[in-house]
Amino acid sequence: MAIVTTTATPETARELTPRKPHPMRDMLIKRGLIGILTLVLVSILVFAATQTLPGNAASAVLLNTATPQRLHALEQQLGLNRPAVEQYWTWLTGVLHGNFGKSLANGQPVSTLVGGRILNSLVLVVLAGVIGTLIGVGLGVLAAARRDSVFDHVLSVVSLAVTALPEFVVAVVLVIFFAAVVVHWFPAVSVFVPGTAPWSNPRELVLPVATLVIVIVPYVFRMMRASMVDALESDYVQMARLKGVPRWRILLVHALPNAIAPTIQVIGLSFLYLAGGVVVVEYMFNYPGLGQALVSAVSDRDIPQIQAIVLVLAAFYIAVNILTDVISLAVSPRRRLPRS
Amino acid sequence: MTISRRDFIKAGLAGSLAVGTGGLLSACGTGNTIKPFTASNVGRPRSGGQLRAGLTGGSTADTLSPLNAITNVDFSRINNLYEPLVGLTPDAQPVFILAEELTPNAKATQWTLRVRQGITFHNGKTLTADDVIYTFREILNPKAPAAAAAGLASIDAKGMTKLDTYTVLIPCTTPFATLGEALAIPGYSDIIPVGFNPAAPVGTGPFKVRSFSPGTQSTFVRYDGYWQTAPYLDEIVITDYADQVSQVNALLAGQVDVVNLLSDDVISEVQGESKNVLLSAGGGWNPFTMRVDTAPFSDVRVRQALRLLVDRQQMLDLVFGGFGTLGNDVFGIWAPEYDHSLPQRHQDIDQAKSLLKAAGAEDLHVTLVTSDIAQGTVLAAQVFAQQASEAGVSVSVDDVTVNEFYGTNYLKWPFAQDYWFYNFYLPQVSLATLPTAPFNETHWKNAQYDSLYAQAIATVDPTLRTEIAQEMQRIEYDQGGYIIPFFPPVIDGFGANVGGLASSKIGLSLNAYDFRGVWLS
Repeated sequence: MAIVTTTATPETARELTPRKPHPMRDMLIKRGLIGILTLVLVSILVFAATQTLPGNAASAVLLNTATPQRLHALEQQLGLNRPAVEQYWTWLTGVLHGNFGKSLANGQPVSTLVGGRILNSLVLVVLAGVIGTLIGVGLGVLAAARRDSVFDHVLSVVSLAVTALPEFVVAVVLVIFFAAVVVHWFPAVSVFVPGTAPWSNPRELVLPVATLVIVIVPYVFRMMRASMVDALESDYVQMARLKGVPRWRILLVHALPNAIAPTIQVIGLSFLYLAGGVVVVEYMFNYPGLGQALVSAVSDRDIPQIQAIVLVLAAFYIAVNILTDVISLAVSPRRRLPRS
Repeated sequence: MTISRRDFIKAGLAGSLAVGTGGLLSACGTGNTIKPFTASNVGRPRSGGQLRAGLTGGSTADTLSPLNAITNVDFSRINNLYEPLVGLTPDAQPVFILAEELTPNAKATQWTLRVRQGITFHNGKTLTADDVIYTFREILNPKAPAAAAAGLASIDAKGMTKLDTYTVLIPCTTPFATLGEALAIPGYSDIIPVGFNPAAPVGTGPFKVRSFSPGTQSTFVRYDGYWQTAPYLDEIVITDYADQVSQVNALLAGQVDVVNLLSDDVISEVQGESKNVLLSAGGGWNPFTMRVDTAPFSDVRVRQALRLLVDRQQMLDLVFGGFGTLGNDVFGIWAPEYDHSLPQRHQDIDQAKSLLKAAGAEDLHVTLVTSDIAQGTVLAAQVFAQQASEAGVSVSVDDVTVNEFYGTNYLKWPFAQDYWFYNFYLPQVSLATLPTAPFNETHWKNAQYDSLYAQAIATVDPTLRTEIAQEMQRIEYDQGGYIIPFFPPVIDGFGANVGGLASSKIGLSLNAYDFRGVWLS
């Protein structure tokens, strides 16, 4: 017994020594695991939802040519007559082996169908997100610096008005003014030759990106302005002013870093919105992205393609959420300390 | 009239104009000042160039296989890649294409088919009898029947024999006097070479495929070995559009040269921008389908009453701006057998009411299942409900998704709608109005009608056959389960630089997507 206790003591002692706290790493591991669990749940939910929809891929493909013989033959060929659980299991094991299956609509591998579209949508989302963030933050800082000026009032009213416009209205107005009716500066629809990268078609990107930028700027702007106004009223800014620090330095070095934290959450939300908002914008501009593919896949009941696209979108949501929290942590030093 | 069509529909549907709207509405339609074109002619024909077509109606289920073409965009590709044995003229009449002889025996139980010599597929292979036999066996493959299988079911594909390099003997299990007509429906029985590879498809058509990306875009280039007059165009680019808004925007912005399947309310928008609109009187039909074996439609008087409730001109005005052709509850309007002497049926509320009274169905309530399956179907259903209310018939419109419509209840709905492409009369009967027909959505079964069909399908003489077919049409006209209020127009748009387009009665857009005579100035 004594031997056991003596050997146990150093062990216990080592375990009791507190590890260096690392909230960032802990959060990443925890959130990553929850994220993977979420993805699995999402895939089950989406699969169950597609099962409850009327019709299946075979009837969606055959439409009014669906004689019982043709329907039966196609269902057999696509494996739709197997039990739902078995279909899901086949799909899941495939995914775990890196195989997202073949499209039920056209037999091509889902990875090639979805792969190019991920890039197209990502370019749209990232461009719109970055440009929208820069404009929103910039305008917010300016409006806060010139609080209650005409500039500030006009911006506030305009941003409120734009917030009330759904993206398809913005898109239609842009098309009428810049593409179809008033002037013909930009293409009205964004059609690329399949297989070419979106950045080799820059003109095609202008209006879809502009639409998304116009939709997200007001949110970023309003948050940025509000938190900047707060920061500018704080004691340390007063102090800096009294010290005679130049105005630009007060704005950018003293106030902005403290005001940006709440805005980062809004920027994160804007990126999340963009992942969903691209669906409408891609549809309006016939832009060959994930959203357009999802609309088409749902109406074709193309389950492997629906699953792949929804998983990509869900993974994007999870990643952006984690990233937002990481950046928030990074810019707020006091939150990085362990809670006592 | 200053009231717009949309306002009128809203007002009409709200019930505030329930009585006496007929005159007003038809005035609206005829007061139209729009003059769509029936042909485009700019400058002289010129070779070269790339035609960009922006087409709606496709999806990621798009296919290049002529065995399984279903949607408009499928047909736009198929009709340029492949060719049938028999095709249609722009007037929707049969004409030999790859075939040069098609002769039945006296009882129409066996046909001799000879194909033209000197025709090559895009891979250089010469068209022979073997390809014809191969194609028919693929179409009628019992394990995976093609879309055309239902209409060609009488053919004994296994018994087909090659008489010489270019001639085939086609035995039929039952008499099949209408083989030629059945083969002429575009996009259903195009000839493919022996060993056809869907991944690298070749046909004998004027254009060969260069790239294909389902639901997105496909490109075609001129086939230099084409056996008929070479097309003017070097290339065709077909892009799928999800809906009319982006499609019309692309036309207005000059990103595409031709667009298909427009609704009448964009005609003025398109013409205002120096583009043009091509109008065709299509032979397709979008019927209301009443199941004759299900109450209340099992009473012939109820069916007759519902047919009399429809103000066909008003419906056509509201749904297609007055373009199109009035229907008379019989299909196959451009078919040689179509009986144009049947009196045009008009709305007759009084007679409808007395028929309903006689049937004991004065307070008739029915549910009409509709879906956005074809242009204008949902609107037509709403107009029908409104018109029926004039006789006290209450119609609830159940607007379901396309997938639900064609799901497990397809061909079983008691009262619904459908859409059909143009077909000749007897081939259409074999698909839709025989007890054995695969798409008998009205569950029509009439002993006299069936025996007339059996007689007609074994009659080789076209004049005699037409007489029998017209007798069948009279039965349908009096008792049938279809309400065919109109034959919709086909409205397509084109840029000011496109020449050589002509309207056609086939019912598919842009003269069934035949771009051989089209040039860009």
